[in-house]
Amino acid sequence: MTRYVMVADLERCVGCQTCTAACKHANATAPGVQWRKVLDMEVGSYPDVRRAFVPVGCMHCADPPCMHVCPSTATGQRADGIVTIDYDLCIGCTYCAVACPYQARYMVEEPNQAYRKGRMRHEERRDEPGRLGVAQKCSFCVDRIDYGKAHGLTPGVDPEATPACVNACIASALHFGDIEDAQSNVSQLLATHKHFRMHEELGTEPGFFYLWEDA
Amino acid sequence: MSVGGKPWLQTHWDWHVALNFVTGGSGSGLLLAAAVAGLAGLPLKLPALLGLLLVGGGLAQVSLHLGRPLRALNVLRQPGRSWMTREAWVAGPLLGLALLTALLDSALLGVPTAVCAAAFLYCQAQMLHEAKGIPAWREPRLVPLVLATGLAEGVALYLLVLLFSGSPAAQLTTGSALLLLLGARLYAWYGYRRALAGNAPQAALAVLARAEGPFAGAGHLVPLLLLAVAAAVPSAREALAALAALAALLSGWGLKFAIVTRAGHNQGFAILHTPARGAGTGGIGSKPGW
Amino acid sequence: MSAPEGGTVKKVPTYCYQCVAGPDLLTVKVVDGVATEVEPNFAAAEVTPSAGKVCVKAYGLLQKMYNPNRILTPMKRTNPKKGVDQDPGFVPISWDEALDTIAARLHEVQAKGPNDSSGYPRIAASFGGGGTPTYYMGTLPAFLASIGPIDFGFGSGQGVKCYHSEHLYGELWHRAFTVAPDTPNTEFILSFGYNIEASGGVCGVKRHADARARGVKRVQIEPHLSVTGACSAEWVPIRPKTDAAFMFGLIHVMLHEQRQRLDIPFLKHRTTSPYLVAPNGFFLRDPATRKPLLYCLQRKRAVPFDTPDTDPALEGTFKVSGIEIGADDDAWEHRLEKVQPAFQKLLEHTAEYTPLWAGRICDVPHKVIRRLALEFLDHARVGETVEIEGRTLPYRPVAIALGKTVNNGWGGFDCCWARTLMACLVGALEVPGGTLGTTVRLNRPATDRALSVKGHPDGFMDYPMNPTDKAGWLAKPDVRNANRTLIPLVANSPWSQALGPTHLAWMQQQKAPEHWPQATPPDIWFVYRTNPAISFWDTRQIEQVLARFPFTVCFALTLDETNHFADILLPDRTDLEGLQLIRVGGTKFIEQFWDYQGFALRQPVAEGQGDARDFTWIATELAHRSGVLGKYVKAVNRGAAGVPLQGKNYDFSLPEEEAPTVEAVWDATCRAASAEITDGAETQGLDWYREHGFRLAPFPRVKWYLYPAIEDAGLRFELPYQERLMRIGKQLGRRLHEHGISWWDEQLEEYDPLPEYKNYPELWEKALERNFKVDIRDYPFWAVTTRSMQYAWGGNVGIQLMREVAENVGGHGGVVLNSGRAAELGLADGDLVEIRSPLNVTRGRVVARQGIRPDTVLMVGQFEHWATPFAKDLELPSLNKLVPMLLDLTDSTGSGADLTRVSIKRVGAKR
Repeated sequence: MTRYVMVADLERCVGCQTCTAACKHANATAPGVQWRKVLDMEVGSYPDVRRAFVPVGCMHCADPPCMHVCPSTATGQRADGIVTIDYDLCIGCTYCAVACPYQARYMVEEPNQAYRKGRMRHEERRDEPGRLGVAQKCSFCVDRIDYGKAHGLTPGVDPEATPACVNACIASALHFGDIEDAQSNVSQLLATHKHFRMHEELGTEPGFFYLWEDA
Repeated sequence: MSVGGKPWLQTHWDWHVALNFVTGGSGSGLLLAAAVAGLAGLPLKLPALLGLLLVGGGLAQVSLHLGRPLRALNVLRQPGRSWMTREAWVAGPLLGLALLTALLDSALLGVPTAVCAAAFLYCQAQMLHEAKGIPAWREPRLVPLVLATGLAEGVALYLLVLLFSGSPAAQLTTGSALLLLLGARLYAWYGYRRALAGNAPQAALAVLARAEGPFAGAGHLVPLLLLAVAAAVPSAREALAALAALAALLSGWGLKFAIVTRAGHNQGFAILHTPARGAGTGGIGSKPGW
Repeated sequence: MSAPEGGTVKKVPTYCYQCVAGPDLLTVKVVDGVATEVEPNFAAAEVTPSAGKVCVKAYGLLQKMYNPNRILTPMKRTNPKKGVDQDPGFVPISWDEALDTIAARLHEVQAKGPNDSSGYPRIAASFGGGGTPTYYMGTLPAFLASIGPIDFGFGSGQGVKCYHSEHLYGELWHRAFTVAPDTPNTEFILSFGYNIEASGGVCGVKRHADARARGVKRVQIEPHLSVTGACSAEWVPIRPKTDAAFMFGLIHVMLHEQRQRLDIPFLKHRTTSPYLVAPNGFFLRDPATRKPLLYCLQRKRAVPFDTPDTDPALEGTFKVSGIEIGADDDAWEHRLEKVQPAFQKLLEHTAEYTPLWAGRICDVPHKVIRRLALEFLDHARVGETVEIEGRTLPYRPVAIALGKTVNNGWGGFDCCWARTLMACLVGALEVPGGTLGTTVRLNRPATDRALSVKGHPDGFMDYPMNPTDKAGWLAKPDVRNANRTLIPLVANSPWSQALGPTHLAWMQQQKAPEHWPQATPPDIWFVYRTNPAISFWDTRQIEQVLARFPFTVCFALTLDETNHFADILLPDRTDLEGLQLIRVGGTKFIEQFWDYQGFALRQPVAEGQGDARDFTWIATELAHRSGVLGKYVKAVNRGAAGVPLQGKNYDFSLPEEEAPTVEAVWDATCRAASAEITDGAETQGLDWYREHGFRLAPFPRVKWYLYPAIEDAGLRFELPYQERLMRIGKQLGRRLHEHGISWWDEQLEEYDPLPEYKNYPELWEKALERNFKVDIRDYPFWAVTTRSMQYAWGGNVGIQLMREVAENVGGHGGVVLNSGRAAELGLADGDLVEIRSPLNVTRGRVVARQGIRPDTVLMVGQFEHWATPFAKDLELPSLNKLVPMLLDLTDSTGSGADLTRVSIKRVGAKR
């Protein structure tokens, strides 16, 4: 069995948004659409204040509410835990978007255009008409994972098989790997650090773990 | 948007969706009321037609606002899990039966129509409940509220039909039924609000708190008073009853619009702990906006 | 992920050096000739401190390249009137017309002579800070070198936006143009506003993340909870501009409560602490050799500092004879005079600076100051050593870092001195784990810090001060900011002019100070990668000056607030379109100390846009058309483009009589680079670098530290007592007074041998009251700024992606105000407010946050654009508009600080 998960080390994250930008490059998402982003959260009140940077996105839940509500079966779940969207089936009802407690889903109706004055060459080159009017979200860069596995690479270890945000993270705060493999990078991190998952009380079993202190 | 992590008002489901919940609830409620009334020999054709138009119209307009309207039939692909699929599946027979009921003016056909209408209304209630990302919607006590709202609005509409079609019969009974259902609706509302307290973002709770006065007052107290006066003043009975029904109806619609379009704040983000930074220690977490 | 169906895909290696915390290596994915993605260069993962990654700014490069707002043909101004309210009327012209117009102007200048009637160069040039434009301007430096003297003194914010005091005093004391903790080895960092997580680039961010994982304790002392504060173990919210008092409090604890824990051998033998100070404040010297004396406890007499096997006294008073040499060789002879070691002077000087005293000034509990001093000592590991590449060195894993505003303007000297002194007290200067310099720019050679260590007769490092003696002082400034005349410490390297005092150049365009010639505008002003109309202070004044410059040539990406005043706009190929080879690695700015050094290539990843041209082509054409081709090629051959083309075993010099192609220049440079790195054994050219992107060779880690060079040369660090500065200050004062100049007298006061704390906040308040005739109580907030990693240096305010991602980071939406204070004032998050300083007013939205002092407001970055497409719609406030250029607020190094007082008024509701 394999279940791919993301691990964010909050001690390391500096909120620089390099992952956000890298994701936007890798996935050619529209202006304002951020499959991966980092929150800037303040806790406490002056002068006892802390500020934490918290990467978020699709949590690839084991029990994904988005999939349960999807009327078209466009949202699915692979055996390795990755929650997927079949853009050819999706009707764009955005039921999944309101079912997701992580605000991870978007729908875009217009082709990418960052500037009013005109579309840029790379925007045109990366047009994806099939992704308009349908739900979209972080895919864990599933194409890279599949490419990597087909070429004998290890997701989370070899860059060609690893999500773009993880590759790009300048603080090495983001990690990706198979939680079912006790020897994997993510399993080791979880074994050596205290961690939590977001909104765990909702029972979705998110596949995104936050490290907050050494164990 | 990401600074702070506070919940914000969802924008995926806009007034089109809210309208479907309004028309779907009232339409299915009306079909239920009409079917029951039809069994008692009361008018069926006009309310069945109106119910059909409400349910069908709501679904049609919301379908046109799908991201991919041409693929609308894909909505039928997930009956095993999705209440939206189930709603769509029920909508077919419901609309067909309602049409036949109206065309044939058949009280007998009204029975399966009523069953479908009830199922449709239940699907709508469950649809909101299954939107796990929106705390004000996912609350289980929203289900009885949506059901009560649909039924009350349906009976209110039926009363209006009776009044406007000049049917003298059963106005009192219908009025009484409306009062009963309004009582149930108000009970469901308070149950919902009680259950939601502390379980939804502050901003959503504030919207609902602001909605309470108009809803309870205009939607319940006013109809009660109007119907009481109507009972005492025969000369103004029909006008007052119509006003009471209208108040019950519009307050229900207003509430649904409020819940869908204004109290639809998402979950926001939360952390259980702030991290240790180097030699520092971890700290308490935060759930901003709650 | 979009798969390029049937398309060709390649990954092109190149570099990003948009900020001083680079360079970082990257690859660009190119599909069917269109650049589609920026990615890390995984091939460089093991050999670069950034692990082959680039920061968020590099991801803006695609939108920079394909930006629809780009200027893609040369343009000329058609409206002769210049002003903010004037439409320049730019119209497209051919490259021939543009270059010939410039060449004609250059010919005019050459005909008139290089300097104007005031003695200033007729040609001026301004480039963005930190020297990073050099990594994008190809051979332009060779062109500039060939057209005669150039005034580089119109800065773009230097003096305020740079680590100014650190640059000067850092170079003086430990060859540290920039100073950094030895983050890979340290355990404890006191960070006074040093915003490394926003300004340290990939290398800084990664190293500090690694350090945190290792358990480093970093304490951030800063008025607001910056990104770096967020990532620190502790945040101490200090009152703005009182950092010096905090540090003096720390020093007091170390000196007066914990003296036995200091690194006494280091103080005795590696600092000037034992040098005896004579009655007039100068060192007591040996009459025969003029060497400073120290008192040897073994011999029980004073001996020259370099006497072998001494046990110098640090404390006490001794009756000693000798001579004292003051300013302009004033001399006194002393016979059995009571004198004290510099360290004793330090003890007495710091006696009053208790934590209690400091705590009251800084609005910080005094217990916190004392605790941090003790923790500093706890972590210092005095006495321990570590072996680095076979050399045993002291191991002192404690460091102190200073941010901007802390080390700029008044108080900057105190802070730099205190920081360096604290390192000395525990022997943690330039040793593993301690406080390090990472580059030299004022001393020579700039390529090797260790080689820049040259001895001064007094036993510490020599320094290339600008002369202040009667014969050598440059009475008549040679550039408009008068740096060599007023600032001895700024030296006279190619970097010195740009260090300023740059604001003096702008101020003098308006009105010359007393007994000083009225400054002239330059006949020609070249501008690249800088926008002083936004990035300087008192930007309105800058605009007025720019409108008077007769002929401005701007290399332009898009329209902006400075090139709004230009006469010619030249579109250069941007980061991903141009060709250039640069040196990388070794030790560079910020925390860029590498285990490798070598070269990296920037190359066109895809077809260039429009009619933008490669910088090297532009430079060659300009040289050709202005008749200096021979000199230009000679300069290229000499190494003006980064690598000398001729070496011991190789010669790739270009023929001087013909204009080389862009490829020829860089092929020769690549070959010379290969030869240099292999001692002539290999000579791979441009094609090899195009394919591989970079070439590196190991750089010894021991060279991260200056201590070995100091030890080998038998030298001392020039601390704590600043006898040399005192002498220079007195000499400079005499020179100025001889010329009737008294407007620099306050600056002269700063030449203290031991800095005395002044009430810096009050100094600001009084200066504002005096100059603007205001009651400072009407301006109840301190306004400060902070670095935005997303925007800083990138010239990327017009990049939509940067705006989008920066909005995720707190503070980018407007003016940050303490939540509680905002509530008191009836202000809500998102309200539109007017932020008014005595000088000017700016507008922005309230960002209510807990992590800021109630008496402070914060404006991130530099905004309020009015011409730059996209950016002009952002509605963001800017501190720059509010901060005045005042001589009163200029310190002796010529720097001011990003600081003023403001009031806040609500003018609109949340959108």
